[in-house]
Amino acid sequence: MASQERIAVHNLADLKNTSDDAIPNYLNSLKFKQDHRLIDTRLALGYSAFAVAAACFAWDYKLGFDATKYYTAAAVALYALLNGVLTFWISFVEKGVVYQGVAPDGTKISIATSTKKNVPIYNVKITVTPKNGSPPETIELARSFTEWFDVQGHFIARPFQSVFATAVPLIAKADPKRAQSSAPVPDFLNADADVLDAIAASQSTTTSTGAEATPAGKKSKRRKA
Amino acid sequence: MYNSLTRIQNVFGFFTTVAFVVAALIAASDFTAPRTPSATIKPTNVQVVKGRPHYYSTKKEEYAIIKFSLNADFSSLFTWNTKQLFVYVTAEWPAAPGAGNSANQTNKAVIWDSIITSPSADHLSNLGPASLKKLRKSAAGKTIDPSRGKLSLKNQKPKYQITHPSGKIASTDDVTLRVHYNVQPWVGVLTWNQDSDLGLWKKMADGVSAAFALPALKKKEGEKAR
Amino acid sequence: MLSGLQNPRQAAAQLLNFGLILSTAFMMWKGLSVFADSPSPIVVVLSGSMEPAFQRGDLLFLWNRNILSETDVGEVVVYNVRDKEIPIVHRVVRKFGTGAHARLLTKGDNNAADDTELYARGQDYLERKDIIGSVFAYIPFVGYVTIMLSEHPWLKTVMLGIMGLLVVLQRE
Repeated sequence: MASQERIAVHNLADLKNTSDDAIPNYLNSLKFKQDHRLIDTRLALGYSAFAVAAACFAWDYKLGFDATKYYTAAAVALYALLNGVLTFWISFVEKGVVYQGVAPDGTKISIATSTKKNVPIYNVKITVTPKNGSPPETIELARSFTEWFDVQGHFIARPFQSVFATAVPLIAKADPKRAQSSAPVPDFLNADADVLDAIAASQSTTTSTGAEATPAGKKSKRRKA
Repeated sequence: MYNSLTRIQNVFGFFTTVAFVVAALIAASDFTAPRTPSATIKPTNVQVVKGRPHYYSTKKEEYAIIKFSLNADFSSLFTWNTKQLFVYVTAEWPAAPGAGNSANQTNKAVIWDSIITSPSADHLSNLGPASLKKLRKSAAGKTIDPSRGKLSLKNQKPKYQITHPSGKIASTDDVTLRVHYNVQPWVGVLTWNQDSDLGLWKKMADGVSAAFALPALKKKEGEKAR
Repeated sequence: MLSGLQNPRQAAAQLLNFGLILSTAFMMWKGLSVFADSPSPIVVVLSGSMEPAFQRGDLLFLWNRNILSETDVGEVVVYNVRDKEIPIVHRVVRKFGTGAHARLLTKGDNNAADDTELYARGQDYLERKDIIGSVFAYIPFVGYVTIMLSEHPWLKTVMLGIMGLLVVLQRE
């Protein structure tokens, strides 16, 4: 599942979005059933606001301003209201949730992610609600994007997935292969230039041979570092 | 993409924000400068003649020529944000009894106006090279020149003859002359003379003439005029 | 697979971002219109007839409500002439009568003659309904972009294209 596309590694938004997109891909492949209600509500709010604006544009264009100004005033108010609700929805209900779903055993899982400006750390908050009604359990992770992006901006699925599989027992149960007990955390930020060059050199040769093969080859290099 | 375009966007966005904040501060600074305008005006010679008041007039109609004397001190209106001061004199008279449908119908016409540029806007004024040079020399080295706000006109000829859509204007009573100004800023709100004090801005002292009547039609002058 | 359903939502959300930027800009403009009661509450000066007060490219903010007093002599108004496309910014120099049918005459400060010749055939005066607003605030030069855009239409296409690309390619 490694992405063949490259992103700019300096772009935090790109890093986050690519990672966010990978979560549903991964969990859905483990037979989790995704719940789209949050994004569906957002789309409904957004598109109805857009429809109000489009209708306003249409009558203003056809009939002119003076003939329609009271309708336009109402449309402006309605648009502001819908946008207000949309903003409320995004910031207080969604709160960064990128995945909601149900595991094959009926346990509910909700994953929210966030980043801080100019800090290349992926903050993940996972809420697991068991089926039997016991209180939800929250797991918080803060991991560097460097763990699953290489220098050239390729997303590498295996380390990314093992972060989740290792931290969340529910995912580990569904995907035991990825759950590692002691995956070393490479620290590119503190590595000196020679080491980084060595890694870059090794990756530029390996990535071209195929994405799935890369992580294993890289792991060994990292251990040396 | 991220490295160049977004950064240009960010820099441009920041630049516009700063520019607008600075502009808003400059505009707000207007309210910190006191305004104490004053003016006295009186008509000196009033005539009503019949003729074609404008070159495009198709029919002869009555028009009034009001000469006036004006003394005004608008120097306090010139600040660093003043682009120009537009001074204008209006003649105002109520509708002839029976002619209008309500008693408070008024008629108002500009008889004279003048653009007084701030030294910072001299280069924009519509003048010949000689008078522009003279104008610039008058304020050499100054960014603000309050002395330009002092007007003293004696028996000034009007720029515009006044007419009425009915074609009749002779023997009108209760005509008053009134001095107005419009301050054009470099950025911010346009302001006119106020009817009452507003913070540091005082209403204009005087600026209205006593009421006078337009005389009856004077035939001979009309023929001479056109 | 379920991710097949995921992608259209993602695409719809991205398209929505672009749509909301456009519609918000439009609705802000309309909100301003309604507030100022003017079909065009911000105008760009196109001619030099009000120089030196206004030059080409300056931005004017209009107010079209007569809350405290009627539109009066000395105000700078923007008006439309019957059957003419482009609104004109000039100063009211004469006003006969009061109310909606008061007769108004305008003139550009920089013009020698009044506007009678600019009006429609047989029209000697303006009425209040011809006016789309009085100038109350001023920002110099900012509107020059729109003059450039209308004089070089290809710039419009290029700018719209770049904007669209940026929004579609880049998520927040």
